[in-house]
Amino acid sequence: MKKLTYILAALLGLGLNSQAQTPKGSILIKNATVLTITQGNQENTDVLVQDGIIKQIGKNLSAPSGVSTIDATGKYLMPGIIDAHSHVALDVVNEASAPITSEVRMKDVVNPFEIGIYRALAGGVTISHAMHGSANVVGGQNATLKHRWGAKDPAEIIMQDAPRTIKFALGENPTRVHGRGNGIQPRTRMGVEAVLRNGFNEAIQYKKAWETYNAAKSQKGNTTPPPAYSERLQTLADILDGKIIIHCHSYRADEIYMLINVARDFGIKKLVFQHTNEGFKVAPEIAEYTMGASVFADWWSYKFEVYYSTAFNAAILQRNGALTSINSDSAELIRHLYHEAAKTQRYGGLTDDEALAMITINPAKQLGIDDKVGSIEVGKQADLVVFEGHPLSSYAIPQMTFVDGVKYFDIKEDKDDQRQLIAATEMVEPIFLRADEEAHRCMQDVDAYFEAFQGAFLLEEEHHH
Amino acid sequence: MKKSFLKASVLGLMVTGIFLQSAQAQSDPTGKRRVTGTYAITNATLFASPGQPGTKSTVLFKDGVILGVGSGISIPAGTKVISGDSLFIYPGFIDGAGSMGVTKPKDPEKPKDFVSSAPPDELAGITPWRSVVDQFDPNSGDVNDWRKAGFTISNLIPDGGMISGKSAIMVLGDGNSTNLIRSNTALAANFRGSRGMYPATAAGVMAKFRDVYQNSTLALEHESLFASNAGVSRPKTTPTQTGMAAVIQKQIPVIFEAPRELEIRRAISLQKELGFNLILTGLENYENVIPLLKSSGILVLIQLSLPDDKAIKAQKEEGVSEATQAQYARVKEAYESALKQAAKLEAAGIPFAFSTSGAKSGDALKNLRTMIENGLSEKAAMAALTTNAASILGISRMAGTIEKGKLANFIVSTDSIFNEDAQIKHVVADGYIFDYEVKRKTSNGNGTTKPGEGISIAGVWEYQTESPAGSTGGELEFTKQGSGYEGTITYDDPAGSGKVKAPVKNVALNGNQVSFEFDVDAGGTTITVSISGEISGSTMDGTMSIAQFGSFPISAKLASPSL
Repeated sequence: MKKLTYILAALLGLGLNSQAQTPKGSILIKNATVLTITQGNQENTDVLVQDGIIKQIGKNLSAPSGVSTIDATGKYLMPGIIDAHSHVALDVVNEASAPITSEVRMKDVVNPFEIGIYRALAGGVTISHAMHGSANVVGGQNATLKHRWGAKDPAEIIMQDAPRTIKFALGENPTRVHGRGNGIQPRTRMGVEAVLRNGFNEAIQYKKAWETYNAAKSQKGNTTPPPAYSERLQTLADILDGKIIIHCHSYRADEIYMLINVARDFGIKKLVFQHTNEGFKVAPEIAEYTMGASVFADWWSYKFEVYYSTAFNAAILQRNGALTSINSDSAELIRHLYHEAAKTQRYGGLTDDEALAMITINPAKQLGIDDKVGSIEVGKQADLVVFEGHPLSSYAIPQMTFVDGVKYFDIKEDKDDQRQLIAATEMVEPIFLRADEEAHRCMQDVDAYFEAFQGAFLLEEEHHH
Repeated sequence: MKKSFLKASVLGLMVTGIFLQSAQAQSDPTGKRRVTGTYAITNATLFASPGQPGTKSTVLFKDGVILGVGSGISIPAGTKVISGDSLFIYPGFIDGAGSMGVTKPKDPEKPKDFVSSAPPDELAGITPWRSVVDQFDPNSGDVNDWRKAGFTISNLIPDGGMISGKSAIMVLGDGNSTNLIRSNTALAANFRGSRGMYPATAAGVMAKFRDVYQNSTLALEHESLFASNAGVSRPKTTPTQTGMAAVIQKQIPVIFEAPRELEIRRAISLQKELGFNLILTGLENYENVIPLLKSSGILVLIQLSLPDDKAIKAQKEEGVSEATQAQYARVKEAYESALKQAAKLEAAGIPFAFSTSGAKSGDALKNLRTMIENGLSEKAAMAALTTNAASILGISRMAGTIEKGKLANFIVSTDSIFNEDAQIKHVVADGYIFDYEVKRKTSNGNGTTKPGEGISIAGVWEYQTESPAGSTGGELEFTKQGSGYEGTITYDDPAGSGKVKAPVKNVALNGNQVSFEFDVDAGGTTITVSISGEISGSTMDGTMSIAQFGSFPISAKLASPSL
């Protein structure tokens, strides 16, 4: 059968990498407390999945022939957790060498073998937004990943039906790397704004030059030569045309408001703020003009611009009507985003549905995939997690994680060694388990140390926010 | 009295030598011209092409071309005859992609207005106009070593950045001949970013490759518009775009270095997107992508090196936990399956050849034998070394088999070539005979020196290291102090631009294994960087590990004194 596929692929001239068929599963999950997120909680309820799609939600459903059943009595079923800010499964994070690198694609450097994917699954995370780093004003285009652990082809873990997104960054990172490090614009926050406005204005001219050429080239005796090609400017033009969602690394209220104004001036509506630690100061503006903010539950003070922060940030944003999600930006936090979401109840008193929405339907909306995932609804893709204990409880433990109805994590079948790829020449790859305190300190040193190396050593396992 | 007599005779010999040389000088100033260009190796067991049985034959060749092969060959007068009784003759090996004798040209000075975000192409490693012909020294020791291992032709890859230039096919014959068989055979590309400038990473390299390719396509369109329509502005085609033209017009392929399976996929996805002809080279881990290689029909050159077995050998038998044993088993499995990869390519019906880049010439035959022990057929191994390589390089008419009219490139060995006891006695390349000492009763065919024998690391080394995000480098200097070594290392200044020099410590040299450490001050915290590697001639290959960050490959070349 496999052989036949290859022969067919060869006949059609297709690489299997670009036309990869992703696995789809069928399963009946019985008698769970179903946390649908969008349609309330349903006790003692069954969910039927066929070919990767949620087909039925109800009581006393029976499994069609060939579909196996899981008894989830006493357990909770929630939609797969979505992390709107991650760097998991990327071989390269920062092409830090220019203030605008919108031509760079994270999809080019996805690494499906990274163990971080499995660890995320063990924390109930089925989708992550694998982002470019924050060294540039306009960074590379991100990849939205579905955690199909075991895939060898990067194309199989890229969510092919997710819209394009891109990384922007304001403040200290781009001014430090380019201004202080290389002596070029931007050296200040004003410079960051100038880089953005100049970039978009150039993109407008670029688009016009190509329109002029395309109209002229079919004319007889055409004398207009083709303009230079620039995927960098084409990508900025695509942002102006609403084809790409901006995800912007930001901390301070003034720079957040600056970007809102730039976006309004250029007619850009698809804009999400990342980190957004001072978002609480401009929550109404974020609510009115953008697709909201994706924030940490309580992480700050790792550099000067992140001192003015509060754990009430998410709740303030939410109650001001801003679409809000909680993200990890970390290989460690991604393993317990449900705890991070629960912190919005301790700091801000959000309801269960509001808190869970912050790691499911809200990030789905910010990634433009809420019509496909982010809640348990008939017709959506069956990304599901079975929890022992309510996911917002301190005692919650994910039991099984499904992507498209296929089980990729089961706590009962969790082997000691889950690696996909083993080096033939290394005894045992080093594994570093760090206390949180150490990670913070380490990150600061590493930032200063490695950024001065001009990106040569930026490593994905470190933090990039 | 006796002593002075000896001295006198030595002096006399020297004078005679000078006299003889000057006597010849009238017709041959070099004194190196050979007496005849016509040779015959008689009555040897000859294997004309892969899979053919050996037959007792004589091969006659003149001025580098085979005149006849067979049993009834008449040998003209003036032929130098080499008795081939008891010897075995094979076609000379062909290297699909090599770097022997190739030296990277010096980077130009950075211009005063240099901006790292938009560097000139030449500094960013984009030099498609360069040719390896200008970088090749046929007299280099590396060329001698590879010839000694049986290689008679190499498609040489220019040294440089992401688009380093055009490869060329050279015959590894006499160092004073013109050895070029064909220039501009392919455009060499890889995923290495340039240090401290755009593009710095594999992601940046892919984006820049697309940019260069698309703009080169547009430059050609502009040129043809200018040629056909009046009033069109002058095309301002750059050297880069001119250098890319042959690729855009599909006259030559891109030879893309892609060792790991994800890099193989990346190169193939660029090829599918842009449509150029592709040869993949330097394949190291490719087991998982064999079906993709098969379905895409892309030509492949695999590395002639194999993973080292240090990790396997270091596994302890006793006193380890069950979990560790399970991990050991997986490393062992990975090692064993790496050895079987070539056999799997054969089983999939992919006509691969080899690349010598990154491999050690002294290990070549040993590695081939290991691949054969792990399932590769001798026929497929020989095809990879001869006919497949010739076909991939487009030189089947002149090389790859022993036939009348083809180049006189042979290996003459003491036994069946893949037999462990076989030693190479002669290599014939371009019709020149190279003789090698054959040792009796040694298991090591090429009689290489024992590892560590007389190795010194004193001198200045230039090192280069790769991390997922790019490459960096500097200088290493060792001086002998008593029985040990001291030294310094330079590296990119973490606190700004330029280089910092730091002392190295704990230098240990054990056989050909060297290890040392140095400290980096990173904003008040000291980070220790450990380096360990293996010395081979004037090169060192190893790993650089930084606590908590992992380890990266490092390679160094002895810059002075040269060996």
